[in-house]
Amino acid sequence: MMNYNIKRRDFIKKTGAAVAATMALGGPTTGLLTSCQRGKTNSSSADTVILLYMAGGMAHTETFDPKKYTPYRKGMESAEVLSTFPSVPTALDGIYFSEGLEAIGQIMDKGTLIRSYVAADLGHILHTRHQYHWHTCYEPPQSVLVPHIGSWIAKELGQLNPAIPAFINIGQRFSVGEGEELKAFHSAGFLGSEYGPFLIPDPTTGLDSVRPPKGMTPQRFEARNKLYEQLISESAMGEFGSDYQKESLKRSMEQAYILLNSPEAKAFDLSLEPEESYNIYNTGKFGLGCLLAKRLTEQGARFITVTTEYEPFMGWDTHENGHTRLVDMKKLIDAPIAQLIKDLDQSGRLDRTMVIVASEFSRDMLTEGRPELKVKDQVEVPDIIDDMKHYGMHRHFTDGCSILMFGGGIKRGYVYGKTADERPCKTIEKPIKIDSIHQTIYHALGIDPETHYDIEKRPFYTTPDGKGVAELELLSHFSS
Amino acid sequence: MDFNGFWLWQFLGRLHPLIVHFPVALLVFAGLMELLSIRKYDSKWRPGIQAMVWAGGLSAVFAAIAGILLAENQGSSGDLLDLHKITGLATAVLSLVVIGTQYRISTHKTARSIITYRISLFVTLLVLTIAGHMGASLTHGEDYLSSTLPWNVRSDDFTGDFDVEIYETGSGTLNAAQELKLLGQVRAILAHNCYKCHSGAKIEGELRLDAKDHIFAGGSSGQIIHPGAPDKSEIIRRITLPKNHKEVMPSKGELLHEKEIAVIRLWIEKGALWPEGAEQHSVYRVAQLEPRRPELPLAKNNISHPIDRLVDDYFQQKNIPWQQLVDDKTYLRRIYLDIIGLMPSPEEMDSFIQDTRPDKKSIWLRALLDRNDDYAMHWLTFWNDALRNDYTGTGYITRGRFNITDWLYQSLKTNKPYETFVKELLNPDNSSKGFIAGIQWRGSVNSSQSTEMQAAQNVGQVLLGLNLKCASCHDSFISDWKLDQAYAFANIFADSVLEIHRCDKPTGVMASTKILWEELGDIDSAANRAEKLRQLADALVQPANGRLSRTLVNRIWKQMMGRGIVEPVDEMDNEPWSQDLLDWLASEFAEKGYDMKELMYWIGTSQIYQSASVTVQNPDELMAEDYIFRGVVRRRLTAEQFSDAVSQLVTPVFETEELKYNPFSHVAESSDHSFARASLVANNGFLTALGRPNREIVSTSRDTQASLLQSLELTNGERLFSVLEKGAEAWQQQYSNGDAIIQEFYRKALFRKPMEKELLIAKQALGESPEAEQIQDFFWAVLLMPEFQLIY
Repeated sequence: MMNYNIKRRDFIKKTGAAVAATMALGGPTTGLLTSCQRGKTNSSSADTVILLYMAGGMAHTETFDPKKYTPYRKGMESAEVLSTFPSVPTALDGIYFSEGLEAIGQIMDKGTLIRSYVAADLGHILHTRHQYHWHTCYEPPQSVLVPHIGSWIAKELGQLNPAIPAFINIGQRFSVGEGEELKAFHSAGFLGSEYGPFLIPDPTTGLDSVRPPKGMTPQRFEARNKLYEQLISESAMGEFGSDYQKESLKRSMEQAYILLNSPEAKAFDLSLEPEESYNIYNTGKFGLGCLLAKRLTEQGARFITVTTEYEPFMGWDTHENGHTRLVDMKKLIDAPIAQLIKDLDQSGRLDRTMVIVASEFSRDMLTEGRPELKVKDQVEVPDIIDDMKHYGMHRHFTDGCSILMFGGGIKRGYVYGKTADERPCKTIEKPIKIDSIHQTIYHALGIDPETHYDIEKRPFYTTPDGKGVAELELLSHFSS
Repeated sequence: MDFNGFWLWQFLGRLHPLIVHFPVALLVFAGLMELLSIRKYDSKWRPGIQAMVWAGGLSAVFAAIAGILLAENQGSSGDLLDLHKITGLATAVLSLVVIGTQYRISTHKTARSIITYRISLFVTLLVLTIAGHMGASLTHGEDYLSSTLPWNVRSDDFTGDFDVEIYETGSGTLNAAQELKLLGQVRAILAHNCYKCHSGAKIEGELRLDAKDHIFAGGSSGQIIHPGAPDKSEIIRRITLPKNHKEVMPSKGELLHEKEIAVIRLWIEKGALWPEGAEQHSVYRVAQLEPRRPELPLAKNNISHPIDRLVDDYFQQKNIPWQQLVDDKTYLRRIYLDIIGLMPSPEEMDSFIQDTRPDKKSIWLRALLDRNDDYAMHWLTFWNDALRNDYTGTGYITRGRFNITDWLYQSLKTNKPYETFVKELLNPDNSSKGFIAGIQWRGSVNSSQSTEMQAAQNVGQVLLGLNLKCASCHDSFISDWKLDQAYAFANIFADSVLEIHRCDKPTGVMASTKILWEELGDIDSAANRAEKLRQLADALVQPANGRLSRTLVNRIWKQMMGRGIVEPVDEMDNEPWSQDLLDWLASEFAEKGYDMKELMYWIGTSQIYQSASVTVQNPDELMAEDYIFRGVVRRRLTAEQFSDAVSQLVTPVFETEELKYNPFSHVAESSDHSFARASLVANNGFLTALGRPNREIVSTSRDTQASLLQSLELTNGERLFSVLEKGAEAWQQQYSNGDAIIQEFYRKALFRKPMEKELLIAKQALGESPEAEQIQDFFWAVLLMPEFQLIY
């Protein structure tokens, strides 16, 4: 049987400085991987990506794409409710956000608002399946383990700073409901564990992940490492000569030591942030996650995702009390997202850092799935609302979702796409799908759209079959 | 006039790319000068302009003539070429007009004649620009200018082994065998490079390259092959275009290697022959299905074990020396880790070393194999990965997945014959139904992931070492398996007849019901599911199916020797490094009752297993097609082996409350099982970091290399830290001084005394009466040394 692997590996080695950097820093590479199409040194407009993930389904009509407001009154018809909040103006003429998002509204001159994201139809709506799809671009299930977008980026571009892991995942615990399903896509898949997520479930304890174990003084950590190195150099294994197993173990231990001992690790320490700034971000775990992302970006992070955390029926996953819950959710995200963008902009980092705010799908009061392809209802919605708890967007809607993008070459003060003002408030202009979103991100990073690996002899691209075209309209300086 | 072939015409033709630069430079410059002197015809530039017009115009004519010669000789065609030809000829004609009008001025100098000349000059320049651009696109590709860097090159690797030169220097005609071989090579090249877009799976440009009729029918741009005339054949033109050219094939991925192009060219030159029945010869390597029992080489020089006789035969052919036999210590550690997944205790180690019986190795190996629970707890990990059996995970939340742990554990513990093992997986009762039941996802899933298709894929991959993943969506382009065959196989697992879906679209065709190989018999398509499964189980375990045992022996070989006889182990059609060894092991295994422990015993008692491990500098070497076997390959401890070793040595890594399956729940816990084995707990951050896979899909080999995330887990992860902390406190209580701790830990962890220097270093770190913290850090350092981490 033909085996392309070895020679293609040589081929990759010859190409792209980025790849060389990855190899130098990442050290061990995964066997059986054959990269193709690497090495096209595209010009890039971004070095870093921060994905702020609104887990659980964020209703566009209640956030970045508000429609007619109908205040709550007992006995109202559910069919008459499009938005449960009044609209407020933003920095962009004629563009309104839902009440509670004033701060983000005021920074929209720095980024692009996409109002026409269309999520996939996966039949019965399931958050974890749609999240899998959003983060990997592949519809689950797949017959191989597919990588998270962060892993693709880590693999193709490597670490920006050898002391900061290339793919950092902030805010998601796996001990919550459907944690197993979440694990399935928080993975480097076939790219190999080297490119997997560095998990920081709680940003306030992020420092613990990158400093010597709790209770270990720097002196002790130093002494322990010295002991290890001395013992290794004297160990009888020396007699077996060099071996990749031994080398990769030693190298990865050295890397861990560098990371845990580096001054950059201070970036993980939120207590070093000036109090004033800390307080602005501190709206909760998510807000502090944004702060951590900002600090890591200052030290040279490659890909960071901060999630509001998915837990069934929590956060954005509103099956009831949608209105009152969203008041809290907006408080959670408004100030920190706005501050993150402002801080990045002020320091000039926004030029090379792309920030994305997205969710797996939207919500509506009536439609489950999308108008043409309704799926089984999961939430009882009464025709007449007699109780405040039914006032809100409780069904899962895939045909019109909002995404915010800032920086890293994204246009400033731009609006892309449109949804209808009447129910079902679906996308009516410039529908955009996940493969285009991913390719746009890859384009900005200079990752070739045809990047792929042969897995079990089948080519796997960053997006299925390499499909999806970068939406250049979102980028301010198109260059090829 | 026949332009073809004659060397002078070819030579002149090839001058075209050179000559074209003269008219371009001269006429454009003349045009610029003309603009500068637009107000005054008789400027000082005039004589120069006149000379340039003459030279540029005449060279344009030469360029056009050379261009026509070039096109004729290369047999090129295409829209772009036609346009280039027309505009090029127009440029030549117009150039003559410019020369004419310029000449006329010298005789009739009027305002009108000047204007006529100037208009004709600028029109010529316009046409010239168009012709030039098209010419550049033909040569360099249409995005030549926009892509600043040539980002791909022809690959250096040739995917076939056909020696073109032999035939080129020969008599010119091929015999029947050569014809068949040449065609086979052509079809292999097409399969590997073109099927992806030009076969039943996907038909771009209305062109299919996967069957004779289709190839000769051509595609939307007409015939692609002119037998006998490679240079007139569209396929040759397309595969020889430069990388960035819009029409180059393959349009995605790497270009064909020169030798591959030469093979196709030679085939066309020889008349594109396609003998009757050629399709029966697969373009992919297909392994023999039936068992084969090779004759064993004669025993000699102390080489009597059948495995060693076969290996020795291989070594002799390859001129490879035997490695030294390992010492007792290394051997015992190896069989403990390989057979029961635990480290020997120092006492066991001592008593083995002191054992003077000549056959002590086989006695101890047998004794380990008889430790049924320890054996089952170790091999459970391997089989959980392969059968994607897990305690938690996707699917369980909605009862869309079934755990088979109890069945699996008991099957391993009782050493169920593999034949029965397979039968119970394929034709299961409630306790073993999880494997073929697969994972039922909520919502709509791609039809290639229906539970029936999952069963077909997983049975294919795990039990038969074949990849049906492609063929479950469309005709495979990496093997001969077809969509309808995959569906026919999946149909066996179905309650009602499946409709064939191609790339997730229904075809309206209902699947038949068949085993992948006709030789293995029929399945009654009218029977109910239970009956079909019974028939399938019987058919797959029949002795005629050598593939079942080959796949299994290859997996066990890999577990014990570090690298399969065939790799990847899920692709049993690949060439083994020793067909004889694979076949012998497989037939012996089948004939001696499909006894997995017996198989391990054979391997474990062979000299080759007892030889020193070999090192590899680059893990890719292990997977290389031309891999050469030299001996046992060094491996890293698995997540489970490492955890269990720490539990043995220091303090249990997992609490008994963490057990997801407790094999001793019925009986009083014996003292032998004083800690929870890692194979029995749910996956967690620690085990994931050390390489336990997500068992949502089948996984038959683990990533053996260390990674940063792994090292971080080991360096500052909470679990290992607290385990070592706890253990250190106990040791501090137990031992009076640092020296005792060092000696004892080296004895237990590495089965040796620390060397002088090591002792010195460790003593420095620990001091006379060490704190618990110092002991903890000493443990940590020793446990992370390669000497502890590797199976060598």
